[in-house]
Amino acid sequence: MAASGVSGYAAISARVRAMYSALLSPQEMARLSDSPDFQSLLAQLKPTIYGSYIEELKEKELTPRRVVFQIKGRLAAVYDSVIHMAPEHTRPLLTQLYRYFEVENLKAVLRGIVTDPTWDRVRDVLFPYGSMSVLPLQAMVEAGNVSAAVELLRGTVYEETLSFAMKRYSAEQNLFPLEVALDLNYWRKLWQETKRLPSKDQQQALRVVGSLIDMNNLMWAIRYRVYHELSEEELINYTLPFGYHLRDDDIRSIAAGADIASVVQRVYPGIPDLNILLEEPRSGLPLLELQLKQNLMRQCMAAFVGDPFHIGIPLAYLVLCELEIQDMTVLLEAMFSRVSEEKYRPYLLKTALVKA
Amino acid sequence: MFFPKEMMEIELIVPAKYLLAVTKVLSGHGVFHQADSSYPSLGSGNTWQESAAGYAGLERRIQVIMQALSIDEGQPQANKEFETMGDLDVIRSAVEGMEDEVKQATDQRIAEKKRLEQLESTLHQLQPVADIDLDISSMRNSRYLFSMLGQIPAANVERLQTSLARVPNVFLTLRSDISKPVVWLAGTQANADVLERAARSAYLSPLSLPEEYHGTPAKIIAALQTTIESTNRKIADLELTLAQIGKTRIEQLRALLWDVHASRVMAEAIVRFGQLRYTYVVTGWVQSDDMESLTQRLKTASKEILIETLPTTRSGFNSNVPVAMQNSKFLKPFQMLVNTYSRPRYGELDPTWFIVFMFPFLFGAMFGDIGQGLVLTLLGYLMASKKVKSLSGLSGLGGVVALCGASATLFGFLYGSIFGFEEDVHIFGMKLEPLWISPIHHIMDVLMVAVGAGVVLLILAYLIGIFNYTVSKERGHLLFGHNGIAGFVLYLSLLGFGGASFGVLPVSPTVFLALAILAGVGVLFSEVFIHLVEGHRPLIDGGIGTYLIQAGVELFEVIISMLSNTLSYVRVGAFAVAHGGLSQAIFILAKLAGGGEDGGFGYWITLILGNLFIIGFEGLIVGIQTMRLSYYEFFSKFFTGGGMRFEPLTLKPVQEE
Repeated sequence: MAASGVSGYAAISARVRAMYSALLSPQEMARLSDSPDFQSLLAQLKPTIYGSYIEELKEKELTPRRVVFQIKGRLAAVYDSVIHMAPEHTRPLLTQLYRYFEVENLKAVLRGIVTDPTWDRVRDVLFPYGSMSVLPLQAMVEAGNVSAAVELLRGTVYEETLSFAMKRYSAEQNLFPLEVALDLNYWRKLWQETKRLPSKDQQQALRVVGSLIDMNNLMWAIRYRVYHELSEEELINYTLPFGYHLRDDDIRSIAAGADIASVVQRVYPGIPDLNILLEEPRSGLPLLELQLKQNLMRQCMAAFVGDPFHIGIPLAYLVLCELEIQDMTVLLEAMFSRVSEEKYRPYLLKTALVKA
Repeated sequence: MFFPKEMMEIELIVPAKYLLAVTKVLSGHGVFHQADSSYPSLGSGNTWQESAAGYAGLERRIQVIMQALSIDEGQPQANKEFETMGDLDVIRSAVEGMEDEVKQATDQRIAEKKRLEQLESTLHQLQPVADIDLDISSMRNSRYLFSMLGQIPAANVERLQTSLARVPNVFLTLRSDISKPVVWLAGTQANADVLERAARSAYLSPLSLPEEYHGTPAKIIAALQTTIESTNRKIADLELTLAQIGKTRIEQLRALLWDVHASRVMAEAIVRFGQLRYTYVVTGWVQSDDMESLTQRLKTASKEILIETLPTTRSGFNSNVPVAMQNSKFLKPFQMLVNTYSRPRYGELDPTWFIVFMFPFLFGAMFGDIGQGLVLTLLGYLMASKKVKSLSGLSGLGGVVALCGASATLFGFLYGSIFGFEEDVHIFGMKLEPLWISPIHHIMDVLMVAVGAGVVLLILAYLIGIFNYTVSKERGHLLFGHNGIAGFVLYLSLLGFGGASFGVLPVSPTVFLALAILAGVGVLFSEVFIHLVEGHRPLIDGGIGTYLIQAGVELFEVIISMLSNTLSYVRVGAFAVAHGGLSQAIFILAKLAGGGEDGGFGYWITLILGNLFIIGFEGLIVGIQTMRLSYYEFFSKFFTGGGMRFEPLTLKPVQEE
């Protein structure tokens, strides 16, 4: 019988809470963003949990891309540790959640093949997924074309998904159908794994996984309508029919041309100035996404309150770690490119959360 | 015997002119495990790297040719000496010649196979509409009707239907495959664009029928089947051609492959040498027994070579010392069980000997039956001896199965059970009586003995752990580790407390409770004490609060796992009881099959099948339980593992351990 409840979660809950305390506080994040330049930022990062990852780089390798690659190593280590500590019945869900980065790697490799098929360039933008992935990414890049690269995925979990999408790629010579197919397949499997959990775990997991799905699904629907101008049928087919608060009716309303702001307002009643945000989508949508991420962050933090013996805490911690690394990426890129403070600060999730 | 083979570290300074001769000695006898000494390097390491890459590329190309010709790699000739490294240009031109010879036929075979795949896919999609008496091409060119037949990912079927809710259409699933259902979508031509976009976005892949196929689906299916047959014939012809090429080239290809392989191994070894101006530095590991013969061979190859050897101690973590196990052929199957868990470290006790006794003992105790044990012994013998071809793949496990069978037979005598019969059984005129106890009739006794045996095994495991820490001189872990003296005292005092509380031991429970608290404090602060003893600073990583929460939970976990590890051995008794119970159930079924009588055809057939079921199914479950008890309850107390495998350089293929 799978260990659950107190016996299954006592150790992981204590350890995750200990690791949670090592996440950067909003005040620390604010201090980091006060750094005058890239070098000072790196110096400030040294005493943090990311210090040991950055120290592995030589002086000349200290570029934002390399540093971000290194600090993603922390997220990989966290996933590895949490998956191994977690009760056995929850591991398929955690492994599937982690697979997000494998899917992103796969998409990056496909983009790399189309734009600049050299392994040295592609490698730096990949996530250091480690031994849990068996995808032949280097061989794919070296294959030189998308068809040959996808052929190398025979026997992997992606073979079937890509077999249909490749027919469209061959006809359209566009990566869009491949990427959408990979995304849909990933989120469907994540949802299925969540639904397989026993009721208490499922309820807690839905708070985190469901919120993630809501956020992504909503942003897809809005972008498909605003940027891609897809037909109602296409938009429905390219989105997911499930979610936590977001219902399929909401997606279908957006697809049918309903007012986006009113749909978003129903699902996320706390978001202010929605109409203003959506008036100018090009600048407004990134800010809307930021608000949704902050909402997700709050959901994850709320998982730490109350009964600690469930899968919600490890899941929430993993998502918080990832969001922190997104913040770090923004900060590192901005500092290196000397972007002015007022331009990048609104995009830092943690500091914005304090203000909110 | 109880530790991996003794190793010596060796460092060589080789004059450049003797480079190849020395490399040949090092890689030719399977005794030298190379360590990377390529840094720092002054010389032309890149040239050797290029050569190694060149040989590796050619080796791969030869393997591809052999694969295309269905030739296995075989073995190099037994007395073959690889004197020199092959000339890259000569080998390359030989490989290119053979590639040209094979290429045309293999390319054609690939193209025909791809075509066959497409034809079969088309056939698969048309089969569900085979009965429709309608010209397919007329649907393709229909003026008013939009129609699309094709395959779609199963997960998208429902979504596509949802997306078409506002468009008049007919959507039918013609074939409900798990992954690739065949569907038919139809509507009016006026909505063709909407329907087409919807279908495309749901990844509906329409049937693309080549122009030459027309008429009714039945007619097209017949034509497709004819084409499939002719394509299969073409593929068979091409395979015949390739087989003929293979027949004439087999010896040449194998010889070439092993020459290139040997050259590649030597070139890769040289890449890992440290290169100075006129000399090369080579480091690695040799088993002490082979040291003398290797030294002599090296001195014969080069009179100017400098050889320095360093003995290796078993203390410390020793993760960089390769590990060669020294067990006899008889113990190999059990060594495989140990290696599946992990390879011992150099300074660590090899638990193979313990498993040799413990594994069959636990298995036999759970599966005690004379008849079924003898069947397993015979099966194990047949597996190990490779006399039955279908069992030869399992030869590695033969020894384990045979010994487990023998142990089950022994316990069968102790339990008085043969093929499930326990009462009124006579063997050679003597009544079969349990020499010890019948588990099904003394359930509580058997369970108590099982837990007692578990306690003994766990105490043994703790003692081995303490021994390992002593040998490796890890004083901190020895004194305060969860599986060191503090953990052991905690376990004993908890046992003592339990025993004294139930009046089994004539000592006050308070004494054991005090001991347990003392040992518990040791375990609680084990990290601090270990850091203190081993001189690590800071004593606590992170804050004291975090540490206390974590250490508290860990102590709780340690105590719970002591309890669960001990109680886990109840399963030994429980399975012994269940074995008797399952046999009784088989007898009831047999009696029903025999029409209420103990005899007759139905009775004996059911009994035989029931016994086979018990041997196969219960035997497997008991095997898994034994492995679980060995790995999680026993090994986890003392066995760290993580040793690096001793992989000597060799020019010929090596047998797996």
